[in-house]
Amino acid sequence: MAITKIIEIPYSLEIPVGPQHPALHEPLLLKVYADGEEVVKVQVYTGYNHRGIEKPAERNSFYRDIFIVGRVCGICNTVHANCYVRALEQILGIEPNNRAKYLRVLAMELERIHSHMLINAVMAEIIGFESLFMNIMLDRERIMKAKEILTGNRVLADYMMVGGVRRDINDEKKNKLLKLLNKTEKRVKYYKQVFMEDDTILKRLVDVGIITKTDVLKHSLIGPPARASGVKIDARASDKYDAYDEVPFNVVVRKEGDSWARMILRWDEALESINMCKYILENLPSDGNPVPDEKRLPRRFPPGEAFTRVEAPRGELTYYVMSDGKPMPYRVKIRTPSFNNIINTANVYLGHSIADVPVILVSWDPCISCMERITVLDLTTGEKKRMHLKELARGGRKWVSPRYSI
Amino acid sequence: MGKPKILDLILKNLLSKPATIEYPKKETVIEPDARGRHYADLNKCIGCSLCSIECPADAIKMTPIPPEYEAPKRNPRKLYPVINYLRCVYCYRCISVCPTNAYVSTNEYRLATTKTIYSDILSLSTLPKKTG
Repeated sequence: MAITKIIEIPYSLEIPVGPQHPALHEPLLLKVYADGEEVVKVQVYTGYNHRGIEKPAERNSFYRDIFIVGRVCGICNTVHANCYVRALEQILGIEPNNRAKYLRVLAMELERIHSHMLINAVMAEIIGFESLFMNIMLDRERIMKAKEILTGNRVLADYMMVGGVRRDINDEKKNKLLKLLNKTEKRVKYYKQVFMEDDTILKRLVDVGIITKTDVLKHSLIGPPARASGVKIDARASDKYDAYDEVPFNVVVRKEGDSWARMILRWDEALESINMCKYILENLPSDGNPVPDEKRLPRRFPPGEAFTRVEAPRGELTYYVMSDGKPMPYRVKIRTPSFNNIINTANVYLGHSIADVPVILVSWDPCISCMERITVLDLTTGEKKRMHLKELARGGRKWVSPRYSI
Repeated sequence: MGKPKILDLILKNLLSKPATIEYPKKETVIEPDARGRHYADLNKCIGCSLCSIECPADAIKMTPIPPEYEAPKRNPRKLYPVINYLRCVYCYRCISVCPTNAYVSTNEYRLATTKTIYSDILSLSTLPKKTG
């Protein structure tokens, strides 16, 4: 017999987490239903930051789109541009030279290091460890400086171009980058040690938000959350795009599957990326000029389509670009990793306390900017209260009273 | 509970100077080739509008050269690009597509202002004024 009616038991407390936060993340709303302190249901609402960026991509020329797709995400702009540029190269049949490929990988790995450092810093802040947050952000500045030396800008690199990259590096810059990387490596090792041994961090992260390998495969999770649950999935290793076939690296995998494992995995990956960057700087091939003359690039794109993927810091990012022979692309389809990871993990919060919700959410490394201010809504009286997420993460003593948890 | 791992670092930081830069009292050190404010050198510009067409942010408008300035002969249409710096995303696409390499790039990053700022004053300063 088909189900005709679902009876939902009314819960006493509905806590909307999000959707507004001006810093770090994009907006997202988590509607958390709690029975006392225990989370019993989580609904994920997205769409607050829908800018319709795929539509402007269809209305602008192929080359203008390189800079438009770079603005999809601030933290991972290089990987977005790289994925799109490789799709254009597939349509045009152009292959960049080896030096350009190495430089592309260098830019993307620098981005991975600072992205992983950022999310670990955010995690430290969310659990109330602000001095650690400040220190990690301070050391992250070195990588931002390295990006500035390489690409000309701290955050938005605009480094990728059809047929190569937009800037070359010389020996002076190479030495500067190596110096910065060596300094950062020591700090990253230290922070990894802190995350491994500090009691505060262990108490808040270990065994929180466990997701099993089966669930990861069932819900198609990607990136560090999947690798922290023992699934060896990495587009860099499977696709071997750009220079990833020549630069040696290990795919880091952990088996624990909890929030702690995800954060430690990010430190391990950051260390791995630092080694890759150093290898690239020491073994940079010199087989020609990596900077194509942008005035002489083909103006017409033949009809065709391309599907490319890259391993962004948050997981696998895919682009589908279709050209119908006109000056603008017919379709640009973007699938970002956070989308997969956030909407498919509502079940992980169940059974944990409300203070663990921010910890679990940050451990997915969401590309969502929402997570500071929340509204607590008492359904019986209709009373609303606003508070910082940090307050909630610390136990939210102010509002957890018998009145709110009937 | 053991000693927090980070305690040594915190104590060290407590005694040292702040790590943040006292901007604007002390200037931020920036790379000489960082992408900052740029403008067109009108002695080289031929008014072809390619930068305006290629700009991903639509920040460049082709504007007629004012009559009090001597327009160079190589610019038959007497147009020059005016960049709206608040709209510009500093991708430097205009610089790389310019057929005559007419753009002057600087690493000037201090562009915070309450007014809309354009590149016209900087660009026109490269041209001589008409005499008489």
